[in-house]
Amino acid sequence: MIMSSKSPLINRSCRLTMLRLALLAGMVLSGPAALALDSSNLLQLHGFASQSFITTSDNNFFGETSSNDNFGFTELGLNGSTTTTSSRLRLAGQLLLRRAGESDNGRARLDYGLIDYTMLTTDNQRLGVRAGRILNPLGFYNETRDMAFTRPSILLPQSIYFDRTRDLAISSDGFQLYGERRWNSDELQWQLGAAAPRVDNKEIEVALLRTDLPGGLEANTSFLGRVLWEHNGGEVRLALSTIQANISYAPGAIDPVPAGDITFEPTIVSAQYNSESWSLTSEYALRHFKYANFSPAINTSLTGDSYYLQGSYRLSSRHDIFARYDTTVVDRSDRNGEQYATLNPSTPAHRRYAKDLTLGTGYTITPSLLLRGEWHHVDGTAWLPALDNLQPTTRGWDMLSVLISYRF
Amino acid sequence: MNPPPKIIGAVLASLIVLLCLPLIARADSSEYAIIANPQINIKQVSLSTARTIFGMRLQYWNNKLPVRVYVLADNQPAHIKFSKEVLGMFPYQLRWAWDRLVFSGTGQAPIQVASEEEMLARIAATPGAIGYIKRSLINDHVIEISIN
Repeated sequence: MIMSSKSPLINRSCRLTMLRLALLAGMVLSGPAALALDSSNLLQLHGFASQSFITTSDNNFFGETSSNDNFGFTELGLNGSTTTTSSRLRLAGQLLLRRAGESDNGRARLDYGLIDYTMLTTDNQRLGVRAGRILNPLGFYNETRDMAFTRPSILLPQSIYFDRTRDLAISSDGFQLYGERRWNSDELQWQLGAAAPRVDNKEIEVALLRTDLPGGLEANTSFLGRVLWEHNGGEVRLALSTIQANISYAPGAIDPVPAGDITFEPTIVSAQYNSESWSLTSEYALRHFKYANFSPAINTSLTGDSYYLQGSYRLSSRHDIFARYDTTVVDRSDRNGEQYATLNPSTPAHRRYAKDLTLGTGYTITPSLLLRGEWHHVDGTAWLPALDNLQPTTRGWDMLSVLISYRF
Repeated sequence: MNPPPKIIGAVLASLIVLLCLPLIARADSSEYAIIANPQINIKQVSLSTARTIFGMRLQYWNNKLPVRVYVLADNQPAHIKFSKEVLGMFPYQLRWAWDRLVFSGTGQAPIQVASEEEMLARIAATPGAIGYIKRSLINDHVIEISIN
């Protein structure tokens, strides 16, 4: 059902990689001085450009990484933000170009574009409202997931920050109410939103309905929220976040799948401790899926879970090393995937879980230039992008990745 | 043989003192101080408010002037000392907080200046401006804000 002609694509992706490397070099040379726009700084422009090298022993991650297509992951972002002289009203937007193997072709998209109104700001509280395309506040990293400098590693822990369904997770169109409340050394931040999720990417349809079907997904009103508590300027951070994403399937003229509704409800608990040298981070997610109003054969309900434990150590202000264990299961009642594999002989059990041990390091060459490297040793293929892996997958595999990123 | 309770008490007391020492030693003992444009008209802020301001989450002052925060580059010794000694935070925590605001569209970054001299000049010239500087460099065109 999915067409792919590899050789012209590789040539094209090579050319694109070259173009991006040239752009990256241009930006490094021109420097941030070119962007000092306004002395009072009412208008700010920021951006980033990252290129990764990825190679895998088996399976593919963002391109045919098990053969010689290693430069399939590129992230370019440009954002602008402007406030009125009173600082009450703010406009912000970010344009992103992202290439990630077969599931992301590098098209430009608006990741967020919003208007923000501060209703109240004092030294111990703040209350405001945002409207437009707003980033989903999920866990610690979702809102800034494309910006390499904000990530602890090249790839975020995939068990929680699935890159294959990035567009669905990243932002949604609607409203958000937010607030902050501060006591002596404690602070509570909260956000509550109602919005339509973004479902216009084929990889999301494949992730939710297993194949690229003739019909399409439609977004319904969805709800999300996060509460985040910070102690002592961020020494301890705890968060609870959740979203109820409501999506419908509208079938095509001739379609094996009838119309139906999908509800996706992940809940994430996040905890972090930060000292001068150490950052210890852990997040746990329960992911509940419900398929209703399709046909009895499709209607189902299942819950998966994920967690990771991560320790980062700063050898100096420029150099860090980290280790992480990250694990996920698609269905809690079938942790090794055997039941699923018995019912669906074309799918191996290892497609239903993944355990990833990652070791990596980062070096800040200048405050605006970052180099990272990491090695993943993975058992299972639950979070592999489906469109990159149309051939059978291998249960145990390794991945090595190097990233260079520039920011301004 | 168990150590007598007096020794345990002494050890515990000195541990508590040692643990509290960084808190007591912070703020006024630092050679760095928070400075602001005189139009702000505030003499003192709490540590929590100082962190809120330099964390870029206070939009305007009580008199409605917009807050304009000035900082030096992350790797400048003055920035590192100010973060640790005055705010009780590490520079990477401030950077994380600013990046979260900037790249999520929920706020703006502080304005970065090249030197303490530029910091002084920009703050003196900008209503609503706040920053930090070595205490010995403070002049009549800016006010010092202490942490209470």
